[in-house]
Amino acid sequence: MVTSSLITDAVDERPSNIEATATLAGEGRTAVSSGLKLFMWILAALSVIGIVGIVFRFINDDGRQDWGYYAATVGWMLTIFGGAPMVAIAPALAKANWVRPVARIASLGAVATSVLALLLIPLLFKLPALTEFSEVLGDDVRRRSIWFDSPDYAPHFWNALSLATLALVGMFMAYVMAIPDLAAIRDHGSGWKQRWAKKLARGFHGRPQQWEWLKMRIGITGALYFATLMFVNFLFSLDFAVSMVPGWKDSVFPFYHVITSFQAGLAFVILGAWASRRWGGTEKFIGQEQMWSLGKFMLATTLLWFYFFYSSFIVFWYGRSESDTATIKLLVSGPYIYLFWTVFFLVFIIPWWVMIWNKVRDSLWGPPIAAVIILFGLFLDRIRIYVASWSAVPDDLELATTSILGDMPETMWPDIFDIFIMVGLPALGLLSILLVTRLVPVVSLWEMQQSRLISKPIRFLRGHALLVGKPD
Amino acid sequence: MAASNSVLGLYDTPDAGANAMDGLKSAGFALGTFDVLTGTPYPEGAFGEHVPQHRLFRFPFFGAMVGITLAILFTAGTQLAYPVVTGGKPILAVFAMLIIAYELTMLGAVIATVVGIIFESRLPNLNLGAYDARITEGYIGIVVECEDDKVEEARGVLQTAGALEIKTA
Amino acid sequence: MQQRRILDEVAINHELLRGNLATPKWWLPTVLGLLVVVLFGFTLMGIMFNKGLGVTGLNRPVYWGLFITTFVFWVGISHAGIMISAILRLTQAEWRRPVTRAAELLTVFSLLTALFFPLIHAGRPWRIFYWITPFDFARGIFPNARSPLVWDPFAIGTYLTGSTLFLYVALLPDLGVLRDRTTGWKHSFYTVASLGWRGNPRQWRLQTVAGILLSALMLPIFVSVHSIVSWDFAVTPSVEGWHSTVFAPYFVVGAVHSGVSAVVTMMAVMRWLWGWDNYIRPEHFDALARLLIVVACAWLGFTFAELIFGVYSLEAPERALREMQMFQWPWNLLFIIFFLTAFAIPVPLWFFKRVRNNIAMMFWTSILVNIGMWLERFLIIVPGLSRKQPFVFTWDSYQVSPLEWGLLLWSFAWVMMLMLLFSKFFPLIPLFETKESQVFTTDVKIGRVNMPAVIRELD
Repeated sequence: MVTSSLITDAVDERPSNIEATATLAGEGRTAVSSGLKLFMWILAALSVIGIVGIVFRFINDDGRQDWGYYAATVGWMLTIFGGAPMVAIAPALAKANWVRPVARIASLGAVATSVLALLLIPLLFKLPALTEFSEVLGDDVRRRSIWFDSPDYAPHFWNALSLATLALVGMFMAYVMAIPDLAAIRDHGSGWKQRWAKKLARGFHGRPQQWEWLKMRIGITGALYFATLMFVNFLFSLDFAVSMVPGWKDSVFPFYHVITSFQAGLAFVILGAWASRRWGGTEKFIGQEQMWSLGKFMLATTLLWFYFFYSSFIVFWYGRSESDTATIKLLVSGPYIYLFWTVFFLVFIIPWWVMIWNKVRDSLWGPPIAAVIILFGLFLDRIRIYVASWSAVPDDLELATTSILGDMPETMWPDIFDIFIMVGLPALGLLSILLVTRLVPVVSLWEMQQSRLISKPIRFLRGHALLVGKPD
Repeated sequence: MAASNSVLGLYDTPDAGANAMDGLKSAGFALGTFDVLTGTPYPEGAFGEHVPQHRLFRFPFFGAMVGITLAILFTAGTQLAYPVVTGGKPILAVFAMLIIAYELTMLGAVIATVVGIIFESRLPNLNLGAYDARITEGYIGIVVECEDDKVEEARGVLQTAGALEIKTA
Repeated sequence: MQQRRILDEVAINHELLRGNLATPKWWLPTVLGLLVVVLFGFTLMGIMFNKGLGVTGLNRPVYWGLFITTFVFWVGISHAGIMISAILRLTQAEWRRPVTRAAELLTVFSLLTALFFPLIHAGRPWRIFYWITPFDFARGIFPNARSPLVWDPFAIGTYLTGSTLFLYVALLPDLGVLRDRTTGWKHSFYTVASLGWRGNPRQWRLQTVAGILLSALMLPIFVSVHSIVSWDFAVTPSVEGWHSTVFAPYFVVGAVHSGVSAVVTMMAVMRWLWGWDNYIRPEHFDALARLLIVVACAWLGFTFAELIFGVYSLEAPERALREMQMFQWPWNLLFIIFFLTAFAIPVPLWFFKRVRNNIAMMFWTSILVNIGMWLERFLIIVPGLSRKQPFVFTWDSYQVSPLEWGLLLWSFAWVMMLMLLFSKFFPLIPLFETKESQVFTTDVKIGRVNMPAVIRELD
């Protein structure tokens, strides 16, 4: 039986290419709502406060433990903004059409990662050298890390390099994915946007060879981004958390960090989609299908959060060695026990029971609510991890080089400068993304046009369906 | 009141089958009294058929509840009945019990789901009524469940739509 | 990928029921040959029960050897089915269709085989009953739910029951087809087994929903099973190299690596034996190889983490173990073979499209992976045990006895025999999925090019 004989065209209610171009690249998008402008000014003010916080943090610096909240904030931003571009890559590799309208929002996470690369610098100054204890314990004594006998500042160098690489690869990918849209703005926009778009579009005129190049570059940078993201999470979580704590030996932790990054990335894209519908006039492009599909993946990563957490917890709990017990106490049942339970509910229990219902996933409001809860929960989770790690400065240096955390540190509370930092730095990241969206449309025009080309609503005998082409 | 007859019209193309369904609708046969039988799943609504409702999603929750209850009884019961401390663990070691509870919860959910699938598919029902083996060869069967007085009308409608063969059971 | 064939339902029935409605010439001799090996294996088990575990190479302090390695290996293979079936079903990957049934079947039979090993390893298998069921009310002795060895039967029991039911539910429409094409006792059997399947919209809708719902339920079970197997080792702090938090996901990814490879092996064999060239096509091997590249790279990441954290503690015994695993004879040879076969040879080859589309190459590379993955489990289990531990008064290495090799051979013959027996009575490639694929795929013309397209139902 030949299916094509049973198919007829159906009414297509999606915006036409002309309408899409006008909305996303032409005059339709030049007007910025006064509300958004005000929001950006508020973010700018908060960013200034964040920078003030950093300056005062340097001035009021009583040691490593004072930088825990800064590390947690940077860790949280890496988790979100580093993970977001994966949403643009992974479904695209699986030829998923639903991701097209949100691919741009996802890829713009890389802009904030570039800001993050700068915010890492103060933290590098505060990260102890591998030979931290040499003065007291002798030249050959080094703290425990994955760097073994590497030069003293190997973690500083490699973390800086890897995060910078992540930012560069991410930015390049976001840029390549935006080139056809910039060309459209060059042809249909006006004013400063048109001038900038003309420069950045680099003579893109949609020749087959140019599209071929574009596809290839997106593929290569996508794979490279994924590899770099894994590497950055691996290094950052080990050097800025695990190896700061004597006795914490947790081989699954880098993967836990990656999973939370995917979870946060999805949450960020869901919120971005919601916000762009609410304030960016993209209701015709982003719909329930995107929320539903993103929501499914967010539910999956939520369950994986528990899996990765439990994988390490059960091993420590059964091990019952001195270091196993100390690790559980530091991160779960000790100084941060209330924080832990809050995290447990915000990152796992609540999103799980919110998102398990198909009616909630398949709605415009459900996934954004779960996303807010998850992002807040993960912020507390980063505090639990990084503040605890940075406060675990060993009192007994002999113990520090072995596998036991001596005295359990007390709960560290944020001071006013920490609060400045926690509010200001994420605001700076968000502001950087919003600034870029002044030029680049938040919904990828060419992806929408391609989607319109290869898929169409049809009638199959008496029923309705969607025909979706699967290009190689 | 149960219908006593089932009349089957056999068609060699999906289009003819859909026409027969249209014919039955316009002849005033109530939705739910006629059905399409195919050897292949078609997109929903392809024959203009009545879209069946089901309550399958309730089954796994019920099964999971039974599973977790059994698991708690097993783990707590055995440990309390034979309270020997091993490995320095508490007698009611929640983190270990959780693993067995998880497995039995999922087992309960899966078993209940499969029961639900069979129940909601209205199976087992070994009496096939009017049926033809060619349906599993690509032919489309349109089956009408009706009382004696409607049999002839049903046959007429099925015939008009171009049935290759009409069977009654 | 323009390899789609347009086939009518008569041809699909005829070709895919080739092994069910008629018996291929090679079938009986092959099954009998396998039966001989299987009976030989059962005899070896009998000898072992009679003489005791002394007939194996197991001795202080290496109490876990080939049996437990092979147990983990077959549990790993069993991860093929749900990985392929559930994940690909949930992501609506069109190329899954010819693969699902065989993969699910592999899950069921390899789990069944895996179960044998801890049972026979107990020496007195009938006593396992006390170990996992609250049975001995007379003496008031009950199972210890805190022991990971009690978690295993629950995990594997759940997985086995779930996969068997999953397999059966997806068989219903095909049993209906067999009912319509048989007579006599076979007809009666398929009539009862198909539960009266007719193929009305309600039944088809439930079949579709069941596929998705059961996949969503089976996936968490699938992840838990190998995690629980890994905790048999990881929660033991006293054996070097075992007490690692990454073990759970590491084992799961390793299982997927070996399981999907086993599916590749099996698909190649199915294509050769039954001549299903129209159904199992190079594009399917290509897609599986791409999936395997991703899985293998993830697995390499976990392996790297496992190794680096092995030495991370800087503790002398842990370092010594890693040195032994990697650099001391004969472990170094095994380690090299393991790494070459599990990753270094197959994965770079899969990067070439010509290899991915070459069925013989895919067959051999997938075999290599499973040699490597068996060795991986052996290298995890045995070296750690053979080093001196606290509370161990002697230490020695481990020599696998001929009897154990015999039982390893038995396990392969047993799985193959079960698969062949199944293939006689039930179709190995799902007919209804193949037919569904014919309905739901078409071409869409864009300009001068025809692009493969799928039909998606609207919610």
